[in-house]
Amino acid sequence: MARKRAPQPVKPAAKAPISPATAVSIWRQNRREITFLVLFLVLLGGGFALISLNWVNDHAVEPFTAGIARVSGAGLNLLGQQVSLQGTIIQSHRFAVNIRNGCNGVEAMLIFLAAVLAFPASWRSRLAGLGIGIVAIQLVNLVRVIALFLTGVYFPKLFDASHTVIWQSIVILFGVLLWILWANRWAMASAPETPVESAP
Amino acid sequence: MSRAARPWLPRFLRNVLLWLVPAWAVWALFAPGYNRFLLASGQNLLHLTEYPSATLLVPQGPHDARITRLDLGKTLEKGFRVTDLHFHLVLLLALFLAVPDVPWRERLSHLGWALLVTIFFDIFLVFSTVKSIYATQLGAWSLANYGPFARNAYGLLHHLLDLPGKLSLPLVLWAAFYLPLLLNPTPASPRAGTRSAPQGDR
Repeated sequence: MARKRAPQPVKPAAKAPISPATAVSIWRQNRREITFLVLFLVLLGGGFALISLNWVNDHAVEPFTAGIARVSGAGLNLLGQQVSLQGTIIQSHRFAVNIRNGCNGVEAMLIFLAAVLAFPASWRSRLAGLGIGIVAIQLVNLVRVIALFLTGVYFPKLFDASHTVIWQSIVILFGVLLWILWANRWAMASAPETPVESAP
Repeated sequence: MSRAARPWLPRFLRNVLLWLVPAWAVWALFAPGYNRFLLASGQNLLHLTEYPSATLLVPQGPHDARITRLDLGKTLEKGFRVTDLHFHLVLLLALFLAVPDVPWRERLSHLGWALLVTIFFDIFLVFSTVKSIYATQLGAWSLANYGPFARNAYGLLHHLLDLPGKLSLPLVLWAAFYLPLLLNPTPASPRAGTRSAPQGDR
């Protein structure tokens, strides 16, 4: 019986840095994903930096928020709450809320806008998605403001948790799911065919 | 591509709604402990920028924190609600657990990585929250210790992290793992649409 040769210790291969060819390969395989994420973050950061400027806040965001307060106030009056308005403040003899940044749906709109614009789709599909999506997000936000006011009137102990955790989550989740729905059902259906690149 | 070829979407939407309540319950259960962890980690991170270390982040009940500086004593009466900084974890859990046709092992692995990134983000969010308070909300002390550039930089950093960062983080992380589902939709498997994601069902 032949003697087995003792196994030679295997020299561990030195971990080579990622070569340019590998980096190019990774880029080619994940180009659309990387492009989406980078574009999304740039658009999102740019959008939020823009609304943080005092001039934009005073001339665009505040009037927009006051408009939301007017529509919400009208909705609450329809429900018999007898509210009055003062800028972005909705008040009745029992409760008052001030609609501020973070409660006006602008954040969810900007996230949705950045995601739609960053996703590879035709401009027609993007514009349709933006139009429908922004209106839908604002409708959900309207329900949120009215529901929060009613929570403050009838269940004041639940107001804080409803305000930040529950409704904030619902509005953002609605925007995210709306984007996934748009991307899956409409955006890809209208996207131009792109050749599939094979990994080398 | 026809609707029939991409049937995962209705199951995904249904799963998200179904996972929301368990995700919220888990988050609510762990929030007080997580708050303490975030305050301790955030305080350590803040100490890296201070000499001598002066900041103490003291828990106030299960959800709030008070900021104390050893060099200012009782003159500093600022605090913040820690629980408000990390409610995005509910969305993250629901979105990651709801993806159908992905084996549980893979789903949990993706969720683990996403949670890791989120924990680091949350610690940094505590840091930026306290730093923005120092730079912009303490009147003469802020003016004496932070220049115009630092005040604007910390204010903008907190604005970007607290709103777009915190709110979009679940979407960004979900997209990092699952965007190919949207970009490269595959034809439905024969079992697709019948049942949601048992182990090993792709």
